[in-house]
Amino acid sequence: MSHHLNDDDIGTSADSLDLSPRAVTPRQQRKRRPWPAIIVLVLVVAAGGIVLTKFLTSAIDYYCNVNEIGAKSGCEAGHRLRVQGVVDKGSVENDGVTTKFDMSFGGVTIPVTYDGEPGGIFKECIPVVVHGILADGVFLGDRVEVKHSNEYKAANPNRVKNEGSTSEGTACSQ
Amino acid sequence: MNTSMSTKGSPRDRVTGTPFTRGLGILVLAGMALLIVLGLFVSPADVNQGESVRIMYAHVPGAWLAYLAFIVTAVSSAAYLWNRTRSLTWDRIAGASAEVGVLFMGISLITGSLWGRITWGTYWTWDARLTTTAFLFVTYIGYLAVRGLGGTHQQRARRSAVLALLAVLEIPLVHFSVELWNTLHQEASVAGRGTNVDMDGLMLFTLFLGVVVFTLMYVWLVLHRQRSLTLDDMLDDSGLDNALTARRAEGMKR
Repeated sequence: MSHHLNDDDIGTSADSLDLSPRAVTPRQQRKRRPWPAIIVLVLVVAAGGIVLTKFLTSAIDYYCNVNEIGAKSGCEAGHRLRVQGVVDKGSVENDGVTTKFDMSFGGVTIPVTYDGEPGGIFKECIPVVVHGILADGVFLGDRVEVKHSNEYKAANPNRVKNEGSTSEGTACSQ
Repeated sequence: MNTSMSTKGSPRDRVTGTPFTRGLGILVLAGMALLIVLGLFVSPADVNQGESVRIMYAHVPGAWLAYLAFIVTAVSSAAYLWNRTRSLTWDRIAGASAEVGVLFMGISLITGSLWGRITWGTYWTWDARLTTTAFLFVTYIGYLAVRGLGGTHQQRARRSAVLALLAVLEIPLVHFSVELWNTLHQEASVAGRGTNVDMDGLMLFTLFLGVVVFTLMYVWLVLHRQRSLTLDDMLDDSGLDNALTARRAEGMKR
């Protein structure tokens, strides 16, 4: 690979002509302003500003755990919260319009009402983050996100069969 | 053109392939075929995520290779700045690696978003992992824009090398965001600190294969891109030759 393209290489075969234009950087003479790059940079700075704002207002402490409501700063009831807890076993009720379930974390349980059917892989005994407002002891959710653990198990039908026998209470096995 | 350039052949006639990259390319294709078979058919569905777990085999290697690519960009940039020779080869490796890194980061973001829709129930949310990743992605698009700002090759190299050394500092923030803050995104399953990997054996093997295949693909892409960037620079320089020849011709007329 010949990457030794020093400026000195160019014009070595020049005769006695005056080559004074070389004093000016020819690239700048030849090239127009790099508008595409400038436009991209402006967009990048704007997008970076939005992302940074989101980081400061949303990303740090994305959620409060159920037992942190009213106990940790930023987790006061009365303003919008994102609350994480595990959906209690046997607590999910859905009448086609509203979904009701209990969620617990650290020994504290709150009832949740959500207008609609939660998406994702929502089911009982799975951790969820609910966005909404706590009113009269009930958490009125308007967005439910299912938090996936970092476990990866093969869906082995033989293994799933074993679970049903021991689990009658509200406690989740995991 | 009677300059030193013409004795080496015009940039337009060059190709970026060599026997090595051709062999590597075949290896990448074979590995990718194997990854598709293992990832989509042989490996099991997940007990919670079902079939969507297969997205992981592109999502995780994409993210890791983006990290690697940006680290290579930083190392090459440092090599450019520290070496007295100020070799543009280092600069072009840095640029090529950043381009491929942005590509892989894009793959990781798109696949992650689709997986999020299926598993979390949403395409996007502003938790710390997703937000820092978006910031990293945007930063390197900015890096590529800075490379396109013009000036001489050496100006471009100096400018972008300094930026690359700053931008790489974001990577630890992205990687450890899941440990530093409460995030919707799960913690690291394989590369976490002191974690015992909680993953089905065949899933883990497929993921490992994905990382190997993506790494080979990264090397293949960077080699080609670095060579095509070299040709770009040569073409720029030959444009300069043409300008000089034109000036000379003008001088003759007078």
